[in-house]
Amino acid sequence: MRRCRPMALVVALACVAALGIAAAAVTLDDFGRVLAAIPIVNEARAMAAFELGLKSSCCGFPVNETYRLLERLAAVSGSAADKEAIVLAITQAIEQGIPVDSLLNKAFEGLARAVPLAPLGQLLELRLQLLLESRDLFYSRGIFRASPGAAVAAGAMALPPSQFDGLLSNFADALGDYHESGRSPFEAQQIYDEVHERLTQLSGTVLTASDVDLVFSRIELADLTQVVLAALR
Amino acid sequence: MESLGERLPKRGILGSLKALAAPTRGGRWGQLAVVGATAAAFLLVGTLVSDRLPFGRHEGPLLLGAAPAAATKSVASQSSAENGVLFILPALNARVVSVVGSFSEWEPVPLSDDDGDGVWTTQIPLPPGRYEYAFIIDGRWWGQDPSADEYVRSFGEYSSVRYVGGGGDGA
Repeated sequence: MRRCRPMALVVALACVAALGIAAAAVTLDDFGRVLAAIPIVNEARAMAAFELGLKSSCCGFPVNETYRLLERLAAVSGSAADKEAIVLAITQAIEQGIPVDSLLNKAFEGLARAVPLAPLGQLLELRLQLLLESRDLFYSRGIFRASPGAAVAAGAMALPPSQFDGLLSNFADALGDYHESGRSPFEAQQIYDEVHERLTQLSGTVLTASDVDLVFSRIELADLTQVVLAALR
Repeated sequence: MESLGERLPKRGILGSLKALAAPTRGGRWGQLAVVGATAAAFLLVGTLVSDRLPFGRHEGPLLLGAAPAAATKSVASQSSAENGVLFILPALNARVVSVVGSFSEWEPVPLSDDDGDGVWTTQIPLPPGRYEYAFIIDGRWWGQDPSADEYVRSFGEYSSVRYVGGGGDGA
């Protein structure tokens, strides 16, 4: 049993091959089929969102990961209404132009941990609200997402989409992790420290150092409490 | 001149034991020392054999005594990111160990213990980023990797976090 490295390699290669096949194959029809298998009431709305996602797949929308999540959702037992709440959280994020990576990650984790679907849907809804509130905060402080393809002047505050999405995703994710650890939203310094730690660790790798500096030069302690409280409303 | 040592009565082994049992102040300290040493010896033996007993319910993985060394080895290995990030877990008597995380959509990636020493490893190529993960040991989740950069609580359970390619020690 312990000498399983060759077997692990075979399994890993098989998974990679399977992912490669899936990557080449996912179409809007595939989304339609998997949604019908769940099934959901607001199928037309979800299909419109996934169509939008497919059109913007050039700009970072994770088509294959989203499809695989729907496949897993269709395969697990649970009420269709609870499954729909999870699908709608993803749908709403696509509609709003919010990065879905962190939502997908939490959904995959929840399914792997066999978390009941109802609380999983609630958690995704909260994470979505944190993303939306964080984006509003960025906008209110003059940090924008540039339109795809548009030129970004040096020193401008309109960040390229991938940079803005990465920043927003990690910022909101840090707030979500803080909240889910059961601590008070009024401990602004603690929240700030955790967000700062997260973004600083990623600065220079997945985040641009100047973007991280920009965020912390324009955001104050109280803003973070406001974002968490607004998301909880 | 006669030294103090020469004036003290000379005791054999039996005499020393009698002195311990004697109701004097020195005898009581000696008794305490013997009892303390015995208790310490039992505690030490108990600690050493507890993980190897065939009964009892363990809440986590059966960590080997060499766990800190393994963790150090892990951190050292992580510095060479070209071959991937090393995940390592000492888990004595485990039958199946895997790691799940944000890098695999939380699908299990098996660890192996080729030499049977109870230290399970796998190496996964990961681009720079932040990764949440947990080990699964014989079906039980274990989210507190000693070599993690930090921990988060998800769904009421701990997950480990590793930063790859940046300020963390992930790579």
